[in-house]
Amino acid sequence: MKFRVNDEWRELDASPTKSLLDVLRDDLFLTGTKRGCDSGECGACTVIMNGKAVNACLVLATELDGSEITTIEGLGRSVDKLHPLQKAFIEKGAVQCGFCTPGIIMTAKAFLDMNPKPTEEEVRDAISGNLCRCTGYSKIVNAILAGAEEVGRLKH
Amino acid sequence: MYIDDLKFSDVLYGKILRSPHAHAKIKRIDTSKAEALLGVRAVVTGKDAPFRGGEAIRDQPFLAVGKVRCVGEVVAAVAADTKEIAEHAIGLIVVEYEPLAAVLDVMEAVKPSAPLIHEEMHAYAHMPVVTVVPHTNICAKFEFKQGDVEKGFRESDYVFEDTFRFPTGHHCQIEPFGAVAQVSVNGKITIWVANDAPHRLRKDIADAMGIPFENLRVICPPFMGGGFGGKGGLKVETVCIALAMHTNGRPVKIILDREEVFMASLMKHAAVATVKTGVKKDGKIVATHAKLYYDTGAYAEKGPTVTLHGCESGVGPYKVPNTLVEGYTVYTNNPVAGALRGYGLPQSSWAHESMIDMIADKLGIDQIEMRLKNALEEGSINPTRGDILTSVGLKECITKAAEAIEWNKPRPLNRGVGIACEYKATKTPSGSSAFVKVEQDGSASVITSAVEVGQGIKTILAQIASEELGIPMDRVIVTSPDTDYTPWDASTTASRATFHMGNAVRNAAKDAKVQILALAAAALSVSAEDLEVSNGEIRLKGGDKKMTVAEAIRGKWKSGLTVLGRGTYYPEIKGTMFSARSIFYMYAAQAVDLEVDPETGKIKVHKVAAAHDVGKALNPMAVEGQIEGGVVQGLGTGLWEEVLYDENGKMLNPNFRDYRVPTAVDAPEIIPIIVEATHEEGPFGAKGIGEMTLVSTPTAVGNAIYNATGIRLKELPATPERLLKYLKARSSRTEE
Repeated sequence: MKFRVNDEWRELDASPTKSLLDVLRDDLFLTGTKRGCDSGECGACTVIMNGKAVNACLVLATELDGSEITTIEGLGRSVDKLHPLQKAFIEKGAVQCGFCTPGIIMTAKAFLDMNPKPTEEEVRDAISGNLCRCTGYSKIVNAILAGAEEVGRLKH
Repeated sequence: MYIDDLKFSDVLYGKILRSPHAHAKIKRIDTSKAEALLGVRAVVTGKDAPFRGGEAIRDQPFLAVGKVRCVGEVVAAVAADTKEIAEHAIGLIVVEYEPLAAVLDVMEAVKPSAPLIHEEMHAYAHMPVVTVVPHTNICAKFEFKQGDVEKGFRESDYVFEDTFRFPTGHHCQIEPFGAVAQVSVNGKITIWVANDAPHRLRKDIADAMGIPFENLRVICPPFMGGGFGGKGGLKVETVCIALAMHTNGRPVKIILDREEVFMASLMKHAAVATVKTGVKKDGKIVATHAKLYYDTGAYAEKGPTVTLHGCESGVGPYKVPNTLVEGYTVYTNNPVAGALRGYGLPQSSWAHESMIDMIADKLGIDQIEMRLKNALEEGSINPTRGDILTSVGLKECITKAAEAIEWNKPRPLNRGVGIACEYKATKTPSGSSAFVKVEQDGSASVITSAVEVGQGIKTILAQIASEELGIPMDRVIVTSPDTDYTPWDASTTASRATFHMGNAVRNAAKDAKVQILALAAAALSVSAEDLEVSNGEIRLKGGDKKMTVAEAIRGKWKSGLTVLGRGTYYPEIKGTMFSARSIFYMYAAQAVDLEVDPETGKIKVHKVAAAHDVGKALNPMAVEGQIEGGVVQGLGTGLWEEVLYDENGKMLNPNFRDYRVPTAVDAPEIIPIIVEATHEEGPFGAKGIGEMTLVSTPTAVGNAIYNATGIRLKELPATPERLLKYLKARSSRTEE
C-alpha cells in the first residue's frame, strides 16, 4: 500500500484492524495528530485527506492506497516557516493546553481552502466538530478569521 | 509533547479490568487463563499491590481488595506486548462477585439505614483538617461559624429558606488520562504522568507504599492536554506501578480510552444545598445558615477539601454578621468525585446566589442593588472565617459586569439577564520553591515543578524571571517537572501557581541578580547598589551600558560557571494545609444574557460579561483566555452537561455523543473584564484566576432564566426537557 503523507511517499503493510490514526501515530511517529476519543466525536485527530478534513480515527488503513494526507507536521515545518493559521493561533492566544489545536488547525485549513473569506458564523460552524475544553472558542475563531485574511493577503 | 507521545523501547501496554457492580464483595478472581496467554507479561490484582492512597483520606486501594465500591473500580490489570493482547487477556479473567446493596444518592447515603461503604473508615489515616464521622458514610464534616445565626434570624424582618440540587458532571479534558511506570533493578520507581502536582503525587505514593521519596521519581511531560483539577491525585499511576513491579524493568504504559475517562477517572461532585437567609426590609443580610452535602462517590479523593472550600464561600461574598455553614462529604457507590475548576463553589453558589435573587425579588429590590448593598469590600470581615479582607475588587466586578451586559436595557418576553458573584480562597498555607540559573552566555533557566496545564504558567514564570533578572524573555527557558531535579511545589491547583510559584521564582531571580551585580560591581570597582540590569545589559543607574550579564559571569570565571539563584515562598500563616484563612481571595461577577424558546425550551445564550478581580493581570491575554474558557465550561454545566446513571450505578452516557460538551456554535460572545485590586504580597500585585472563571456561570444562567421566564430552577442543567416541563406548567397557569 502506497500513499503520500506531507508530500512524501510512504509504503506500509496495511493491517485491517488499524486506523489512519494508528498508522500516523504508531508507525510513522507523527504524534502531532492527537487521539481524544477514537470514535470521531472530538475532532482532535483531524487531518486532511485528498483535500478534505477527516477524523483519522475513522479512516481504515486499508483505505489509504493512493491517497494524499496532510498532518499538522506538514503545515509548518519550523518555527520561522509557520503557516499563517499557526501564526494567528499564537498571536491571538488561541492555544491553551494545545491538545485540540492540531485538529482545529487542520479543519480550518481545509475549510479556508474551500471558503477563503468566511464569516464568523461560518467559521464557528466549520469547527463545530472539534471540541476544545480550554478556550471557550472566542480566540480560536478570531485566529481563524485573522489567518484567513493573511492567507488572502499572501495570495495577492 | 504529551504523555501518549512519549515513546519507549520495550514498552508494555497495560489494560484494566473494571468492576461492573456499584457495590459487591469479590468472592474469587481467577487470572490463570490470562497469565497463560502468549505475550502477557504481568497480571495483578489487589493482593499484589496491597497499598492504599488518597490525599485527604488514605482510603483507596491501588486495586480493589475484598470488595468493589463503584462501577469502574480497578479489579485487575494486565501488561502485555501489544494493546490487543492486553485487551484479550482482560477478557480471560474470571471474577465472582456477591452484589451488595448500593446507595447512589447523597441524601440516602447519610441516613442511618444506608449501607456502609467503608466499614474501616475510622481507622484510615487522614489530613489533620478532616473530621470523619465514624460508622457512617460521612467521611468529612466541616463547620464555619460567626456571630449567632439564631439570634440573627430573630432580628430579621424576613427569613427565606430553600434547597437546591447540583448535578454531577465530567471535566472532559480532551487528552485522556495516561501514565508510564518503570521499576529499575535497584527498586527505584519512575513514573511519567501528566499530573497537576508531581511532588504531591510522589508524597502520596511514597506514603501509601511506605517508601522514601528518593525511591520514586515523577516526570511530567512538557504539556498536559487539559486538567481542570481532574488530573491530580492517584488515577492510572497506581495501576501502572503495580504492573511495573512485575515486569523485570520493562516500562508499562496505560492510556485510558474515552469511556474509561468518563466512567473511572474523576467526577464533579453532585451536591444538595439548603440555604436559610434572614434579611432586613431594606435588603441588608442579617444571618445565613447553609447546609451542604457533597456526593464524593466511592472514595474521598479531594472531596473533603472541595467541601471545605464550598463551605468557606457558602454564604456568598457578603457582609453577613451571623453565619453558620455545615458541610458534609459523603461516600456513595457512584464513581469518585474530586476537584473540578471551582472546587465546591459552583455547588454552593447555585444555592446562595439563587437565594439572593429570590430575596431581592420578594423585597422589590433590583438584583444588582441587592448585591452592592451587601457586597464585601476593602476591610470587610470574611463572613465565614472572620479574617479581615484586603485587596477586594468585588463591587467593581459587579458594576462592570452589569454595565457590560446592559443590565437596565428593556428586553422582550422570554429574554433576560442574570448575574451571580462570588469570592474564593486558595489553599493555605502551601509552599513553592524554585531555582533560577543564569549561564555564561547570559541566558537563564527557571527550574520549577509548576505544571503547564494550558493556563500559560511557563509564560508567566518566564515573564517574572525576565522582569526581575533584566534578561530578555526570549533568553529564558522554563523546565517541566521532574522530582529528581525540580524542587517542591504543593500543586498547580487552587489558582495558586502565579502567586506562590511566581513569588518563589521572583525570589530566585532576585538572588541570582544580586550575585551577577556583585560580579559586575567587583569588575567595575563600583558599588553593586549603583548598578542596574535590563535587556541583559548592566549599567550605572541611569547611565550607559558597562557590560553584559554574560561578560560579568565570564569575566570572573573564564572557564565557565553557572550563577545559581534560589527562591522559596511560603505564606506567614500558621496551620496545616487548608486549615487557615486564605493568603489571597479572588472576586468575580458574571452576567448572562439569554433567550428561552417557549415552544422548545431551548436556550440561546447571547452574551456573557465576566468581571474578575485578579490582583494584577501579568499577562492580560492569558487572563482573558482563562475567563472565556471557564465561562463556556460553566455554560455547559448550567445548560447541557449531566452524567446519567442507570439504577445500578452504571453510567449511561460515557461519550461525547451523549454527554454534550459545548461546541463553537454553542459558545456566545464573551466580554472578559479584568479588575485589578492589587495584593501587597502577590508578585507585582497578582492573585489568581483559573478556578473562579466557572463558579458563577451556572447560577447566572439560572438567574437569567428566571428573569426571562419567571421560572425559578432549583436543579441543573437547564436542558430543554427540564425547562419545557416548567414552561408547560406556566402556560397552563396563564390559560387558567
